Amino acid sequence: MSEITTALLDILREAWVALAAAILAFALLAILSNTLRTVSATILGANLWVWETVSALVGVVVLLLFGFLAVPALANAVQVSFVACGPIADLGALSAALIGGIGALRMIKSVLTSILAASVGGRTAMSDALTEIGETVLGMAAAGLVVPIAARFLGAC
Amino acid sequence: MFDEVLGQILLIARDAWGFLAGLLIVVAMLGGMFYVLQGTAGATFGGGKMTSMALIGLVGVVILVLVAFLLIPQLGEMLKNLQPDAPF
Repeated sequence: MSEITTALLDILREAWVALAAAILAFALLAILSNTLRTVSATILGANLWVWETVSALVGVVVLLLFGFLAVPALANAVQVSFVACGPIADLGALSAALIGGIGALRMIKSVLTSILAASVGGRTAMSDALTEIGETVLGMAAAGLVVPIAARFLGAC
Repeated sequence: MFDEVLGQILLIARDAWGFLAGLLIVVAMLGGMFYVLQGTAGATFGGGKMTSMALIGLVGVVILVLVAFLLIPQLGEMLKNLQPDAPF
C-alpha cells in the first residue's frame, strides 16, 4: 500500500512541476501579448483599451503570485489538518497524503486556467477557475474535519 | 512522465514568444513612423499641439517597448525563482 501511494505521489509531484512550469510560460506570454495590445492601443489612441490591457497585465501577475505563493501554503495548511489515529492510522496518513496531493494539483490546474482566461479577458472562465480553488480548499478542510469525527464516532481513536 | 509533454509545451511557448516579440517590434516601428509623420506634418503647417502630441506618443511607444524588452525578462527570472516545489 505504501509503495503504491509513493508511486502515485511521485506522478502527482511530476505533474505539479510540469503545471508550474507551464503556468510560468503561459503567464509570461500573456504579459508580452498584453504589452503588445497596450502598444497597439496607444498608437490607435484608444484609452479604454490601454486601461483594459494594463488591468489584464496586472491581473495575470497577481494570479501568478497567488499560484506560486498562496497555493502551496494552502495545500500545506489543509494537509496538516488531517489527523490519522487508531488501528487504521497508516491508511489514514496515506489517504491524507493522496487527498492533499490531488487537491494541490487541482488548485494549481485552476490557477493555470484562470491565468489563461485572464489573459484573453474571459471573466466567466476565470471566476469558475477561482471558484474551483475555493471548492477544493473547502472540500479538503471538510475531509480533514469529518474524518477524525467519524473515527471517534466509530471508536477508532 | 510529464517531461516530454512539458518540453513540447515550452517549445511552442518559445516559438510564440519569438513571434510576439517580432510582432511587437513591427507594431512599435509602424507606430513610431506614424508619430514621426504626424509630427512632421504638424511642424510643416504650424500645428504646435499636433507636433507635441506626436512627440509624446513617440516617447510613450519607446518607453512601452523598453518595458517589454527589459522588464518582462527580469520579471520572468524573478518569477522563475519563486516557482514552488510540490507541497506534498
